[in-house]
Amino acid sequence: MHIRSPRDFWSGLIFIAIAAGFIIGAQRYGMGDMHLMGPGLFATLVGLLLAALGAVIALRALAIDGPPVPRFYLRPIAVSLIAIALFGLTLRHLGLVAAVAVVVLIGALASRESRPLEVAGLVVLLAVFSVAVFVWMLGLPIPLWPDA
Amino acid sequence: MQTLENLLFGLEVALTLQNIAYCFIGCVLGTLVGVLPGIGPVATVAMLLPFTFNLGPAPALIMLAGIYYGAQYGGSTTAILVNIPGESSAVVTTLDGHQMARRGRAGPALGIAAIGSFVAGCIATLVVAFFAPPLAEIALKFGPPEYFSLMVFGLIAAVVLARGSVIKAVAMVCFGILLGLVGTDVNSGVIRFAFGAPELTDGIGFVALAMAFFGITDVVANLEESGKSDVYKERLGNVLPSLNDLRVSFWSIMRGTALGSLLGILPGGGALLASFAAYMVEKKVAKPPRSFGEGDIRGVAAPESANNAGAQTSFIPMLTLGIPSNPTMALMIGALMIQGIQPGPQVMTERPELFWGLVASMWVGNLMLLVLNLPLVGVWVRLLAVPYRLLFPAIFVFCCIGVYTVDNKIFDIYVLAALTGVAYVLLKLDCEPAPLILGFILGPMMEEQMRRAMMINFGDVTIFVTRPLSAVFLAAAAILMLLIALPSLRAKRDVAMQE
Repeated sequence: MHIRSPRDFWSGLIFIAIAAGFIIGAQRYGMGDMHLMGPGLFATLVGLLLAALGAVIALRALAIDGPPVPRFYLRPIAVSLIAIALFGLTLRHLGLVAAVAVVVLIGALASRESRPLEVAGLVVLLAVFSVAVFVWMLGLPIPLWPDA
Repeated sequence: MQTLENLLFGLEVALTLQNIAYCFIGCVLGTLVGVLPGIGPVATVAMLLPFTFNLGPAPALIMLAGIYYGAQYGGSTTAILVNIPGESSAVVTTLDGHQMARRGRAGPALGIAAIGSFVAGCIATLVVAFFAPPLAEIALKFGPPEYFSLMVFGLIAAVVLARGSVIKAVAMVCFGILLGLVGTDVNSGVIRFAFGAPELTDGIGFVALAMAFFGITDVVANLEESGKSDVYKERLGNVLPSLNDLRVSFWSIMRGTALGSLLGILPGGGALLASFAAYMVEKKVAKPPRSFGEGDIRGVAAPESANNAGAQTSFIPMLTLGIPSNPTMALMIGALMIQGIQPGPQVMTERPELFWGLVASMWVGNLMLLVLNLPLVGVWVRLLAVPYRLLFPAIFVFCCIGVYTVDNKIFDIYVLAALTGVAYVLLKLDCEPAPLILGFILGPMMEEQMRRAMMINFGDVTIFVTRPLSAVFLAAAAILMLLIALPSLRAKRDVAMQE
């Protein structure tokens, strides 16, 4: 077996895995029958279709040449995910101002071009802007500071 | 003239001081964010969604529409001056637009884009006003089988007309449908695929999904490339095209408008397809001497008119059928649902102020865009000088705040992070995100309609082909699939998309 189109091959496998997950999960919800479709039936049908498509994509990738999977650059994606998750964590416990500071400070690490002074300026600017626009102007209910 | 009366009624709604203000704010914000390189209309609309939460449905929709075509137009400015399309539908504009800029004709290029968009917008607004009501009337007669088949057709058409592998796109649709099923099943009350997380009982947040696939992932992709862009630095000069420019471009604008209006209505069409098609046609039918690719003003006028017309008419399926034809329209549907309105043919009769107010506001908005863009283009140009390293942290902030404020749930931010991871892997594997978003919005509706269809027909699936209209939709979907399977047509489509 020789993988000739890696991008397609792996996406096919991922689709099959996703489909399998949903099909297995759906079995708990009651199928009903075609007349009175239960909560699990439609998901199972779509899951089967997705699995079939995934299989075709993966098998086709063994026959037809395609481009390789492009390189994954760990830094931008990992830093972005961490920054966003930390925004959530910080917002819950310390409020919006701290959360904006955290997501900007951490998020800026996603790019090698970020410069410390500029990032510091951005923190202040975006924190002030967010509070002024979203909380004061638009009146959205976002906690600003840590709960006492 | 019923339509005229309705339009006047719409103008009454759109011309209240409040709605003019929201339309204006929408256009300004949309252009402002849309001009920034690397931020497309979907991300723009998603990021600016929180601005509309506290408004009523009509002002919210008017403002969102303003944001949408503002972003659309802003993308063209970026395309002409920086040679980076701010969004995919501006790709064609870069071809001749940027060439014009390099030859010192950036001003007229921007001017003709604004004028073409304005003319196209006005005409497309009329198209919406005249075609949407009869379509809604037909749609009111649809039963569940027709609706289901129509959605199948819509999804297939969207997939076929989009770029990339069709089969992978269909798979993405299925994945989207499955993601859409997460949460409480309205029929049985069963909570599905929630992994025991109580926060998921309402389903996956649509804004989080859109931001993950179109906001954050785009940032990550841009950071990976970090290529130097070719920014236009000279003085703009006069933005008003000469009389000769206008004369040469007149028919190009008209052709672009006609093509754009038509393609915008198709599912999956919208602005992107419209601008590509208009450019292709223009290359063939424009009067010689032609200098396409080397700064022919008609190569800017036609696609710019087409993408604005297409952007406008893509509201037709959304407003009349409740079916989004592109990811931006899916966002609009999401926004309407947040406002407590289920989009569909009933909106026009039950909430006429919403429908006609929006249609009339398109006119107002187009006028505003013209006013904003001709004299203010210098301001937008200065925005282009902002380096990306200063922009992307701001995008993080707005995405996070936007996702949180939909429901004030911290959990949604974690969902955003998780979906971004998924979106990144899929991006690397060359799976288009747009079909997934459409599937996500349509999935629950399809399930609902299929269940109803099966219930009234005692589980006999042949109902989808024995009801004539439903059969027509399915046949059309099948024909589209067959057409795209033909190697010759497929090659043509791929060539058209790559040029």
